[in-house]
Amino acid sequence: MPTVTIDGCKVTVKKDETILDAARKAGIWIPTLCYHPAVPSDASCRLCMVELDRGDWRQLVTSCNYPVRRDIVVYVSSERAEAARRGVMELLLARAPESGELKALAERMGVYETRYPNVTESQRNCILCGLCVSVCEQIIGKAAIGFAGRGVDRAVAAPFRQPSEDCIGCGACAAICPVGTIKIRIHADEQEVEISPFKSRAKLLVCEQCGALVASKQVSEQALTRSNLNSEEFRASLRLCPKCRRLQTAGQLGAATFYKK
Amino acid sequence: MTLLSNKRLSSIAELDAQRKELLSSRAPSTKSVYVCTGPGCAAKGSPKLYELFREAVSQANVDVEIRAKAVGCHGLCEYGPIVIIEPGDIFYQRVEEPDVAEIFRETVLGGRLVDRLLYEHPATGEKLDTVDKIPFYQVQQRVALAYNGLIDPTEITDYITEGGYSALAKVLSSMTAEEVVSEVEAAGLRGRGGGGFPTARKWRSCREAEGSPKYVICNGDEGDPGAFMDRAIMEGNPHSVIEGMLIGAYAIGSSDGYIYVRNEYPLSVERLKLAIEQAKELGLIGENILGSSFSFDIRINRGGGAFVCGESTALMASLEGRPGEPRAKYVHTVESGLWEKPTNLNNVETWTNVPAIINRGGEWFAGIGTEKSKGTKVFSLVGKVVNTGLVEVPMGITLRQIIDEIGGGIPDGKRFKAVQTGGPSGGCIPAEHLDARVDFDELTKLGSMMGSGGMIVMDEDTCMVRVAKYFTDFLQKESCGKCTPCREGLAQMLYILDRITDGEGQVGDVERLEGLAELMEGTALCALGKTAANPVISTIRYFRDEYDAHIKEKHCPAKECRGLFRYEIDADACKSCGICLQNCPAEAITGEKKVPYVIDQEKCTLCGTCWEKCPFAAVLKV
Ligand SMILES: Cc1cc2nc3c(=O)[nH]c(=O)nc-3n(C[C@H](O)[C@H](O)[C@H](O)COP(=O)(O)O)c2cc1C
Ligand code: SF4
Repeated sequence: MPTVTIDGCKVTVKKDETILDAARKAGIWIPTLCYHPAVPSDASCRLCMVELDRGDWRQLVTSCNYPVRRDIVVYVSSERAEAARRGVMELLLARAPESGELKALAERMGVYETRYPNVTESQRNCILCGLCVSVCEQIIGKAAIGFAGRGVDRAVAAPFRQPSEDCIGCGACAAICPVGTIKIRIHADEQEVEISPFKSRAKLLVCEQCGALVASKQVSEQALTRSNLNSEEFRASLRLCPKCRRLQTAGQLGAATFYKK
Repeated sequence: MTLLSNKRLSSIAELDAQRKELLSSRAPSTKSVYVCTGPGCAAKGSPKLYELFREAVSQANVDVEIRAKAVGCHGLCEYGPIVIIEPGDIFYQRVEEPDVAEIFRETVLGGRLVDRLLYEHPATGEKLDTVDKIPFYQVQQRVALAYNGLIDPTEITDYITEGGYSALAKVLSSMTAEEVVSEVEAAGLRGRGGGGFPTARKWRSCREAEGSPKYVICNGDEGDPGAFMDRAIMEGNPHSVIEGMLIGAYAIGSSDGYIYVRNEYPLSVERLKLAIEQAKELGLIGENILGSSFSFDIRINRGGGAFVCGESTALMASLEGRPGEPRAKYVHTVESGLWEKPTNLNNVETWTNVPAIINRGGEWFAGIGTEKSKGTKVFSLVGKVVNTGLVEVPMGITLRQIIDEIGGGIPDGKRFKAVQTGGPSGGCIPAEHLDARVDFDELTKLGSMMGSGGMIVMDEDTCMVRVAKYFTDFLQKESCGKCTPCREGLAQMLYILDRITDGEGQVGDVERLEGLAELMEGTALCALGKTAANPVISTIRYFRDEYDAHIKEKHCPAKECRGLFRYEIDADACKSCGICLQNCPAEAITGEKKVPYVIDQEKCTLCGTCWEKCPFAAVLKV
């Protein structure tokens, strides 16, 4: 097993684990945005730069996808690595000045402002990390959103920038978005969920007992097929909101009286 | 003249026999007319000339065999369309349709010169009748373009007659894969596509990589604006590319090849397709080539239409049918490339050099050039030089030789200012480094690079800040937008460059540009972003005073940036004709008979009309 020496601290990792894996093992923090363990790393945000010792020179590499294959020496808090990460963060802050999440991460890195003006805005407060695109395609299996345009015009959008028919309203994109740009909006009166900014909507199931809004119909269907629990009994339980479901289960366990008291 | 009746050659002996037959059938008295149909000449109407010559041939009832041929680029595109007559190597330039009959009558049939169409020595004015007397060709040395203009790219027999596919035969009959790699290593061949990576090292890594199948790819995406080196090779001598790939595939252990051709090059696709077809018919591509155990097939793919598709990983993604965007190369493509299989990618010109190296030996090739840059390099010489076109020079020649001896110097008596090499992310090299040698490492040291061979010459009227802005703008439009530093950094750079050329530059802007450049170089994902700051950095390095003049004095020394210079009337040169006054849309000019006219700077909108209209060049930019 290869050894990674990070800022003088030695850790061993399995072959082809990344520098980021090694750093996490060693308890060393490297800021990341487009990295998520659920999807393969694309290394597009470039925030996780570290310096790799190449003998007579040092190379800046992205730690999230650099595979460790032999013993290596890495610097996370060297001046050049920090300057690189801060520089990238400043560019991102200029692009997405209104994201509280991004600001908080920046502050954790010691970046309190950006020297750059806001000159690119293909999409408000989106840093184009692509996690939403990956999770939708690779985990949910839908590809309801993707990249459109190139260069500064690049944006995440549904095909033809119209609300996508493929969107099931699961909200995985919103959950994975590291800068809080994708949001789930519930339209209670219409019993619909909207994924913003893509404007796609899905009908929500209504709890048969109390009338509370549950997940969207498609999400529920997908959960059933994926989980192999496609029994009528389980289906029935999904027609309730989580609270009513708990009550029902408790009732079935004969604890109803106890519960009500 | 189709001697090869589509018969499959099942051994090397048969190939040799065919070649001998072709050679002996070539009557020594044969007269040929070569019409250049390279991109430059074709744009000026040479395909029509070709048709006219063919008509003339069919109408003339003479018993000498006359071949009118459509051939690839000769270079010297400025003087196109070019026609060469054999025997005698007579060079005619700027040939137009009405000239065809005269050339045919006088030169082809009568053996006399048509003086009017001969090339004039740019310095002495002497009429030069043959190719080898023209300085443009004297300094050049042709390896990659050796047969461009001599063979008909649509006839495999032409290529075979000139010794084509003999390198493949040699490899198959007498060399092991390792011996082939060693020969290329001895040649010191480095990639012509931009990076200058040692070709043999790439081949060896791919050969030794685990996994199969292995793929061999030819990069014919050629996205640099104004460059057409690879196009000229693909269209003028497609078989040399194919033979190079066959040899490489044999050395690497691959039986699948792809040629990725830029979408805007339909003729390249057509010529390559035809060449592949012809080679297949003869059994030079396919199963058990020339009776050996080596099999290889080649497919052609049309490019994705974006500049970045020429980058190796983006190209492979595009071949796989995914968006042409780069990915990290921490695991090299020779290990995991196309469909995650070991893949060897080389540029068109790199492949073309391979047959020559095998035929003439690595040592011969290594004898040309400098210590670390061997062989020749094709450049597309454009901009402010007298002769523009494709040139092929031995490595180690100086930039001055290319610009003065081949390019014929700067036109209109202007002064040289800089030469931009290396394509859009190359750099500008100033006059004080004109004696630098054409060498991968030397150009890099100067802040530019070899790149794929673009060479743009600029004169004193060129504003270097605008040059930097032009390339930054190109790269910003071509950036795929995947990674932060390239996408955001280029936009920030362009924002600063815009304000400098608008006269709103701020003190500290140069340092801001330098900061962005360093960030992009260190953190961008692919080489586009990593090198995108070169135009800015190299112009800051050599022309810092121009940046300062724009920023601090609000003045453009080259007088290109509108608003950063004034128009004034030279009182001595003004003949008081009144033309400027009549044409000025802002009514900013006053004057009367016999008194020099004056521009009211308050009213002047800097439209430049007076400067264009003055018949005595009395309006000056200051
Ligand atoms: C943005 C970008 C565009 C490129 N375009 C081309 C191209 O059009 N043709 C080419 O041969 N190489 C191009 N390259 C270089 C290729 O990535 C690759 O290095 C080259 O084709 C390898 O061949 P070689 O070793 O024979 O030079 C490009 C590189 C970058 C970063
Ligand atoms: S450097 Fe530019 S072209 Fe290359 S991946 Fe990043 S954004 Fe795309």
